[in-house]
Amino acid sequence: MPSSTHHVVLGNGIAGNHAADVIRKRDPNSRITIISAGALLFYNRYDLPDVFRGRHQWVDYLVHPPEYYESQNITLRRKTRVVELDPQTQTLSLAHRETLHYDKLLIATGGHAYIPARLLDDVGLMHSFHNFRVAMQVQNAVRKNGTVIMLGGDVMGLDLARTIIATGHRVIVALDNRTFWPHEIAQSERARYLQALESMGLDIWDHGKVDHIEAGNSKGPARQVFFEDGSEIRGDVVMPFFGLVPTVDFLATSGIDMERGILVSPQLQTARDNIWAAGDVCQIWSATSNAYRFYYGYRNVKMMGEVAAYNMTGEQSAFESTVDEALEVTSKGLLHSPFWEYD
Amino acid sequence: MAKQTDIQISICGSAGDGTIAVGDIFKRAMARAGYRVIAFDHYPAEIRGFGKCISRTRISTNQVYSMKSYSDVLVSLNDLHAIPHVGEVRDYGAIIYDSAPMSAVAEGAHISGHLMPGHLPYALPIRELSELATGANRSRNIVALGFIAGLYQLPQQAFHQAIAAKFETKAPAVADTALAAFDSGFKSGSSTYKFDDVQIDHSRARKNGGEVRMMTGNGAIAHGCLEAGIETFFGYPITPATGIMERLAVEMPRRGGRLVQTEDEIAAISATIGAGYAGARAATATSGPGLALMAEMLGLGVMAEVPAVVFVSQRGGPSTGMPTKTEQSDLNLAVWGGHGDARRIVLAPTNVEGCRRCAARAFEMAEKFQVPVIVLIDLYLSNRYETVFLQGEDNFLPKNWQRVDSGAPGDNYRRYELTADGLSPRCVPGEAGGIYTATGLEHDEYGHPNDSPDVHSLMSEKRHEKLRDAMKYPGINFTKRFGDKGKIDVGLLAWGSTFGEALEAVLLAREEGIRCAAMKVVMMSPLPARPILRFCNDCQQVLVPELNYTGQFANLVSGELGRPVTRVSHATGAPMDINYLLTAIRNAAKQKLRNKTTTSNPTKA
Repeated sequence: MPSSTHHVVLGNGIAGNHAADVIRKRDPNSRITIISAGALLFYNRYDLPDVFRGRHQWVDYLVHPPEYYESQNITLRRKTRVVELDPQTQTLSLAHRETLHYDKLLIATGGHAYIPARLLDDVGLMHSFHNFRVAMQVQNAVRKNGTVIMLGGDVMGLDLARTIIATGHRVIVALDNRTFWPHEIAQSERARYLQALESMGLDIWDHGKVDHIEAGNSKGPARQVFFEDGSEIRGDVVMPFFGLVPTVDFLATSGIDMERGILVSPQLQTARDNIWAAGDVCQIWSATSNAYRFYYGYRNVKMMGEVAAYNMTGEQSAFESTVDEALEVTSKGLLHSPFWEYD
Repeated sequence: MAKQTDIQISICGSAGDGTIAVGDIFKRAMARAGYRVIAFDHYPAEIRGFGKCISRTRISTNQVYSMKSYSDVLVSLNDLHAIPHVGEVRDYGAIIYDSAPMSAVAEGAHISGHLMPGHLPYALPIRELSELATGANRSRNIVALGFIAGLYQLPQQAFHQAIAAKFETKAPAVADTALAAFDSGFKSGSSTYKFDDVQIDHSRARKNGGEVRMMTGNGAIAHGCLEAGIETFFGYPITPATGIMERLAVEMPRRGGRLVQTEDEIAAISATIGAGYAGARAATATSGPGLALMAEMLGLGVMAEVPAVVFVSQRGGPSTGMPTKTEQSDLNLAVWGGHGDARRIVLAPTNVEGCRRCAARAFEMAEKFQVPVIVLIDLYLSNRYETVFLQGEDNFLPKNWQRVDSGAPGDNYRRYELTADGLSPRCVPGEAGGIYTATGLEHDEYGHPNDSPDVHSLMSEKRHEKLRDAMKYPGINFTKRFGDKGKIDVGLLAWGSTFGEALEAVLLAREEGIRCAAMKVVMMSPLPARPILRFCNDCQQVLVPELNYTGQFANLVSGELGRPVTRVSHATGAPMDINYLLTAIRNAAKQKLRNKTTTSNPTKA
């Protein structure tokens, strides 16, 4: 039976795209729109470290070719930013002054890099790595055998560090209490994990908090990082890896319940009708923890997209993580995070 | 090794957005930078205020022959108009649009919702940048131009020069504002990551010898007229031919010529023939409706054997039809229009450079063969810009006529003397001994009215046979074959502006392994039957593409040659679609294959 339901998915990552795929299978005649702030089709961000291995064409990272969207009758609206959500009228206000109606909405906007307040003044001197464009910028900025300074050192950064080291560069990790984020490491175990980092070839810099960052001179490394203890290190780029914060700015006036992320039931539904959330943007109620909590990693996020899609099309499935979230030290003394695994 | 540059950029907006103006700056800047340029603008019949405008420009480092059937980049200055053209952009091409329109848009009315998955979007706050740079939003078009230049790292200086030239007749502040808007867009484009695969390789831009000009077909005709030493022009404005008169109105007075805007087309052709009779190099320009009005006087020109040049730019018809759309539907009128057996010369150039050459040669041919010459183009060629490389190789002949050599005043001058080649000694009024009767009546060798059967028969033959040598006139290739030589599967016989698309389609078909060729035919009357027949005999199938419904050229060819051809007619008001032609070629090649199979194995149906 034909469906006139307009499913709108905010976010062009794993959760959103997998959800769209499942919705299409379950409701072949509905209208599906994915809204993306970026310019590109859905691509595999987990592969982005490969820019250091010479993979410089963005098309090589695409998960689906352009024909996929046409065959699946999925509209992908890129370079489109949502500025406001009105659950009453079920409309999204877009930055270019268009209003878009939805029947069912999935918020899968993910997260963006967390920058500690003390470093906000130096954002312009840091490189992120969250999309292809900036990944290429980093790759271009790092000289042959050059040095990358990672502040913090969350698991995304550590994953990237593996490739950077493997391609002949040096990585210095300036430790912070968010090193290994989102894994929580007991203080008693910390030394063992830091040893594993050194075994992986990373240089550890444990000099407390960063004071400020400066641009280097034209002959030497492009960046200098100064620490509160008076020490300094130099490198080609400085990259903040302090974990993620959910991208929810556009929800400020929506009335949707939020803590750090969007609060959802195990069915991934918000307290508002016809609005679900999935991926790094949401905190899911956990009866076990008796709290709303985040679930990270490719497998969790993909599963959330699938559960949301089922529930948006009439089911009442609950999300259950099957991912062992422990950060391992392998028999070779190296680190392994389950969040580095993806299909 | 760097790739050859061959890209097409389309800018789409509403009338009043400056779409055509900014397209003009773009094409001139790229020509300055050393690229070959072909450009064609689409604009509404209405003067201003509403209606769609599109400026399409193809730039290349190699010779190309037409607009492409798709664009590599589309700029939207008005989403309502641009949305229907999103599909023209190829996969991995770019679409540039305003991310911050002034007013709210209805759901689905913003172009971002219509991009195909293969397109790369560039959402640019065009209006805001314009306001920041100039204090007003009027320069959105120039901001978008600057963005293109910055994104593709085009030479900023060439654009600055083109902008300065564009506004040189305005107050300096106008150019300053435009430059500020351009630089704002350029800065934005330069700092934008380029995801699309559009490549413009500056190292391969042509470093020319000779003079490079950007010309339209109309401009080239005016140029050719001036090179040929035109002395008088009489015209009545009509789209799309008006540009010829506009250009000549500026240039002719500077060179001692005279241009008169007459009260109508009948007056224009009458005055042109009168001037030709008096010995001046004279011309008029019109479109189909005007040519219809001129038909009677063209008959006088044929009968009285008076040189005159008529430039005709075809538009969509019949009647007022589609004044701003192109069509090739006045061929019958140009070749046969009028009463009686009024044979005249009709030339149909196929590109802008050809317009220049045909225009200049038309005066020579009109004088040599003592007959009106029609130069037949269409709106697409009239308004199409191309880079023309003037190498100075053309030496057009000054006007010349045979002096009366009888030496005896009075009635002995045989103005219409029957000669071996049909060409009689011509003089102009005022020459001693050159008195004769010039009339529309049938006449004898002296010009005296005479309707005897013998005279009419001989004079009819003279008026036709004298044109036989027109096909040998030097300086123009009246036919030329391109592509595979010898026996081929598919041949395209094309004329006028459509030849460019035909040749591009043939080149694409050859890349697919189809043996094919294209022949351009520039002389439509008298038709050079021999080379056309030779070409046709080499082809398993002959396709005749043209922009009309009835296949007027196909009818002309099959009628004169007695050989069937396949019509590929396309009457949409737009130029011929290369893909449409390519499909026709493929189908014809398959048909040939089927025929061969059937011949070799008759049991297979």
